[in-house]
Amino acid sequence: MSVVHVRVRVAGEHYALPVEQVLEVADLGAIASVPGSPAALIGVRNLRGQVIPVIDLATLLGLTGDQPGRIVVAESGEVRAGLLVNEVLDVGELPPVSEQVESRYLLGACLVDGELVGALDVDAVLAPIAPPGGSA
Amino acid sequence: MSASDEEIHALVRQEAGDCLQRMEANLMALESGEGGSAEIDAILRDAHSIKGSSAMIGWQEPATLASAIEDRMERARETGSLPNKAVDPLLRAVDALRRAVNGEEGVAAPLVEELAALGVEAGDEGADSPAGRGAPPRVEAAARAAGSAAAQAPTIRIDAAKVDRMLDAVGETVLYHRRLEHTLEGSRQEGRQVSEELDMGERLLGDLQDSVVQMRTLPLSMITSPFPRAIRDLASEEGKEAELTVSGAETQLDRAILEGISETIVHLLRNAVAHGIETPEEREAAGKPRLGRIDLRAHQRGGMVAIEVADDGKGVSAEILARAEQVGSLAEVLSETGFSTAGEVTEVAGRGVGLDAVKRSVESLGGGLEVQSEPGKGTEVTLLLPLTLALMRVLLFELGEQPFGLPMTSVGRVVAVTDTTSLGTRPSVEIDGQVVRLSHLAELAGSGWKVPERSPAIVVESLGRRLAVLCDELIGEEEVVIKSLGAVLAGVPGYLGAAILGDGRIALVLDPNHLMRAPKGKMAVDQPEDTTERPAGQVLVVDDQFSARELQRSILETAGYRVEVARDGREALQRIGEITGLDLVMTDVQMPEMDGFELLEAIRADEVHSSLPVVVVTTLGDEASRKRGAEAGADAYIVKNEFDQEALLETIERLVGR
Repeated sequence: MSVVHVRVRVAGEHYALPVEQVLEVADLGAIASVPGSPAALIGVRNLRGQVIPVIDLATLLGLTGDQPGRIVVAESGEVRAGLLVNEVLDVGELPPVSEQVESRYLLGACLVDGELVGALDVDAVLAPIAPPGGSA
Repeated sequence: MSASDEEIHALVRQEAGDCLQRMEANLMALESGEGGSAEIDAILRDAHSIKGSSAMIGWQEPATLASAIEDRMERARETGSLPNKAVDPLLRAVDALRRAVNGEEGVAAPLVEELAALGVEAGDEGADSPAGRGAPPRVEAAARAAGSAAAQAPTIRIDAAKVDRMLDAVGETVLYHRRLEHTLEGSRQEGRQVSEELDMGERLLGDLQDSVVQMRTLPLSMITSPFPRAIRDLASEEGKEAELTVSGAETQLDRAILEGISETIVHLLRNAVAHGIETPEEREAAGKPRLGRIDLRAHQRGGMVAIEVADDGKGVSAEILARAEQVGSLAEVLSETGFSTAGEVTEVAGRGVGLDAVKRSVESLGGGLEVQSEPGKGTEVTLLLPLTLALMRVLLFELGEQPFGLPMTSVGRVVAVTDTTSLGTRPSVEIDGQVVRLSHLAELAGSGWKVPERSPAIVVESLGRRLAVLCDELIGEEEVVIKSLGAVLAGVPGYLGAAILGDGRIALVLDPNHLMRAPKGKMAVDQPEDTTERPAGQVLVVDDQFSARELQRSILETAGYRVEVARDGREALQRIGEITGLDLVMTDVQMPEMDGFELLEAIRADEVHSSLPVVVVTTLGDEASRKRGAEAGADAYIVKNEFDQEALLETIERLVGR
């Protein structure tokens, strides 16, 4: 079963999010940093009157990011957050994941046009972030 | 049907109508917390009479429905209270009964079922099944029954969610107005009209906001009425005698806070009975009356509501007090997890849970906790709660080009940090002869920081301690809508939420209690340092706006002046009479009581102080105002929009002549 996904580029690698969990794509905008929050959280942003956290996907996935570009606003249930990506590539069907991946933020990976694409587990990405030094 | 039947039916209908009207009124009274057993009895009587007369003339449906209402009210009579969640179905049953009496069919069955199901649900309705639970839950049950008293309004019943939505909309409108103000900032100087229109809009919006907030407030009495009885019963289960006196129950609180605080108050009352009040024998031996006193007092304190639970029991031990002195706060010691003052674990409160749960719940509402105790005399716990959750007055400041906010309720004053001392290894600043620890937001992130050369610091007072929070610049005081940072950031401590400012930027609103706690270890002990007297001019700053006042204070203090403040012309005149060696007065124009021009005229008319230099600082930049200032005898006239620190200081230096 293939599901429509939004493909993004993060630190040179390709990832995909189910289109149902993507609300919109926005500019980086003005980010207010939150002292005391983990490194993967860049800060919070005002998105038309809503305060949404912005998560740096590269840091979260343990990559070294290059030029940040846009925010993909994703949701998991009631929870919303902006995910920082370099670029939004396209929207299309993603074949079922075929590769197992050792990451709590990925459901797996598959090949699309010869490129390995990681299927993001949006629910895990939007789970409450433990503060630095926290036990979680 | 014979004519006489018809007459009887009309009579029954009319009687039933009167009964139904009374039932409705009594149900509402019960729901708003004003009603009690008298109302329950009255409803029972009315339901019973409708049941009787309907059955007599063979009206099945009304009789069944009235009987179902009667059954439900019987249970309320047994427990002495009606849970709030039962009110709504009962009101609907009354409506249905009215329709049934008027001949409508098929309206009874669903409500008969609903009423029967009510209270059968176990667990969350303790008042209905006192036998099914452990010994002490009566207090909680009573509190829950009253505490969930959400939909209030004796005159109009409005879904609470609708009021919340309205408040949200008003909040957004306020933000919109701020944006508009921001956009028109440039035009303000040009025309007085723009300025006036904006001010008018702000005033109107303020009124609207206040009235909506008021719709959300309820008196504390909503939850307190069952407490006195419950306390007496609880005490007797413990082999003690205690009496609860409630005062200030009319104090208004935000509905959401009231709901959130009800269990906490119950917890404190139970603590007072279990840990505080001694047995009658112990009390007699200590020379106290057998009957222990517990006071529940509520009153407004500044922008907060203080709820105090005080007992005249044994207080905490001397060891705990000694430890509290070390740590700097008794509340802090008592709320360490697992701390319990009871020597032994009793059924009621000694589950090893101290005040930590209380503290967490109060802090989650943006409030604070204070505890005072004297061995042998008693303990007093104070919950400080914000008036409303949705709106907060904050002092905004800038740090690292980003705005932050601190709740005004925790802000003491603003100081200019020039000389720092060090307290242990921590940089501190001296304020009113007390050494106060300096803090920087970098501490939240666990990073180091350097004391800047010259910078304002906001003195935060919370939990009985003081802390000076460094900032780059003050922005001002504003009422903001607090938004949650959301689930993703739920685990990051230190913030009450975020506010969106007029220019669209996000200001994080800091939790003062968290700042207080920051570094572990021995707390700052106040050690008065010797102040090196430096000759400086003394200036009285008069402004009704806190932020403007403190901004001027910080500028002047940084420049080496000693500063006194007053909030309006009248207070200023009084201060002028009291202060010796005053060199200059700096006053705002628009102030309540007595404005700046009137103050100026009063100073010039005063024989002793007529030559005192007066600088007028105002937003009124128009010619007429300048002229009026000059005529009244102002030595200098500074327009806030043109506010330039250097120029201000030069002017003052010239006038003071140092």
